[in-house]
Amino acid sequence: MADTTIRTPVRNADARTWAGVLGVLVAAAIVVRVADPERFAWVQSFFVIFGSLLIQALPFVLIGALAAALIEVFVPVGTLEKLAKLPRPLQLPAAGLAGIAFPICECGSVPIARRLIQKGLMPSAGITFMLAAPVLNPVVIASTFFAFRGRSSLWTMVIGRFTLGLLVAIAVGWVIGARSKGDLLRPRPDDEHHAKHVLEIGAPEARWKMFFVHLGNDFLYMGRFLVLGATLAAMVQTFLPASIIGRVASTPVLDVVVMMGLAFVLSLCSESDAFIAASFVQFGPAAQLAFLVSGPMIDFKLSALYVGTFRRGFLRTLVIAVAATTFVGAMWVKVISG
Amino acid sequence: MSVTVAPLDREREIRTRLGWSPSRIAGALVLAAWGALFWFLLLSGRDALYLSTRTSWVVPVAAVLLSLASIGRFASARVRRPEPLSRREAWIMGLMVVPVVLLLVLPPATLGQFSASKRSSFVGSGIATSVGDISTGELSMIDVAAAQTSKEGEQALAKRAGEPVDFVGFVTLYGDTPAGEILLTRYIVTCCVADATIAQVRVVNVTPGEFQSNDWVEVKGTIYPIGREVIVNASEVTSVPQPERPYLTP
Repeated sequence: MADTTIRTPVRNADARTWAGVLGVLVAAAIVVRVADPERFAWVQSFFVIFGSLLIQALPFVLIGALAAALIEVFVPVGTLEKLAKLPRPLQLPAAGLAGIAFPICECGSVPIARRLIQKGLMPSAGITFMLAAPVLNPVVIASTFFAFRGRSSLWTMVIGRFTLGLLVAIAVGWVIGARSKGDLLRPRPDDEHHAKHVLEIGAPEARWKMFFVHLGNDFLYMGRFLVLGATLAAMVQTFLPASIIGRVASTPVLDVVVMMGLAFVLSLCSESDAFIAASFVQFGPAAQLAFLVSGPMIDFKLSALYVGTFRRGFLRTLVIAVAATTFVGAMWVKVISG
Repeated sequence: MSVTVAPLDREREIRTRLGWSPSRIAGALVLAAWGALFWFLLLSGRDALYLSTRTSWVVPVAAVLLSLASIGRFASARVRRPEPLSRREAWIMGLMVVPVVLLLVLPPATLGQFSASKRSSFVGSGIATSVGDISTGELSMIDVAAAQTSKEGEQALAKRAGEPVDFVGFVTLYGDTPAGEILLTRYIVTCCVADATIAQVRVVNVTPGEFQSNDWVEVKGTIYPIGREVIVNASEVTSVPQPERPYLTP
């Protein structure tokens, strides 16, 4: 079939563009300085929360980009393709359990998963790894233990989080199915550059140069979506009407749904969310568990990263699959724990 | 004798000539800007306004890694093949620097009464200090918060009724707060401010009108836990500057 895509001509940045960019930055600085946000409590709260989300999450994106660049430059093509030949029932649990070895939060796991898929790992296994790593890693499990220490629900929460997190990650990987990396990953401008370099006549660029180029590209690409996600999450945290939460705590089914929704909008780091979950003393273990399992897989901040990393439609599939499997798992825990 | 350069050789010559890549240089500048922000946070101590002591290690790590990433990208910015930067990408890169500018220009600020009122209704505190910690030693705001999360904690704190306490926090006043009382509030942060929960005690026996919302004060007095509410009968309330680390870490 003939390619009917009409490409709009790309206009390159010139001196006027850079002057405009610089003007916007200077204007932003002047406006903030003159407006004095301290006069408005909500503006001050918004900036403190927005700043904290970025300052905490960006280093993890950077660490993720660093690992992704190492994979890209130093892992030979074909290494992961051998793993892709394993049967899916074996590959998905293995990918999920591999998350134990990566003490990274959810922001770091996205660039790593993208690079693993690009390098030949089966996409469904890459997704399972991406979702499992922020829930199963030892730092997160330890923080869950300390948050619920001294409570009767301690082991329900620790074992439940690990088991349900793994099961949900595998189930979502299964739902993603046999999609190819081309169907799943959103193309990026630097992929095109990379392809051109590969085809280029003459000696390829030195490895260390390629490492820094990939590191920077991944960080800059993920970073922009993180800024967007952090803006949304900070807005919600600043304005969320608090009174709606407590009313549903004792309503069966709805309590689980509300806690999953809350995890989505709060966009907390998986290494600290257990302390927040533990604070919802009015909710039962099943609802708290739903919060702990779905939060590191789908939230505002991550949604922006997913939109930038995966093709259209992926986010919708992921949200539905994670929400549905977590809900079923949490309801099962509710039945078991009474 | 004149030498004619064949078209293929000429093309090869052009390709082997190195030029600066605007895309890589712009990226290096963005990385440098973020690196500068992390160095600023580290050297000014402002990281304490955003992170807990538990996660403050990310600031020096990010400062060093971002600086190295920026230097590495600058060093690899000479390319054989032109890598132009589109206007759209240039604007996106510029917008990525906006948060850096804002965080550098904004005066140092912390969460105050506005957020306390938003959070108190749906987040109490998830600090799970053991009952043993509450039962013995000097009482802290963290112990008070922890005691509100379980029956055992509540009972352990109740046993400490009548003991002297010395708390530092900021004043929270609502429309229905009686004259002669204040709510003393302190945020407890596990990772970053986004996960802040509050510890709050009601302080009675305060000179009416002496303190305004968000004033930092030190309260010395006697503690009386009544159910989930904790009351401090103040013997002395004094204004203090905001602590260097305004948030508590469990």
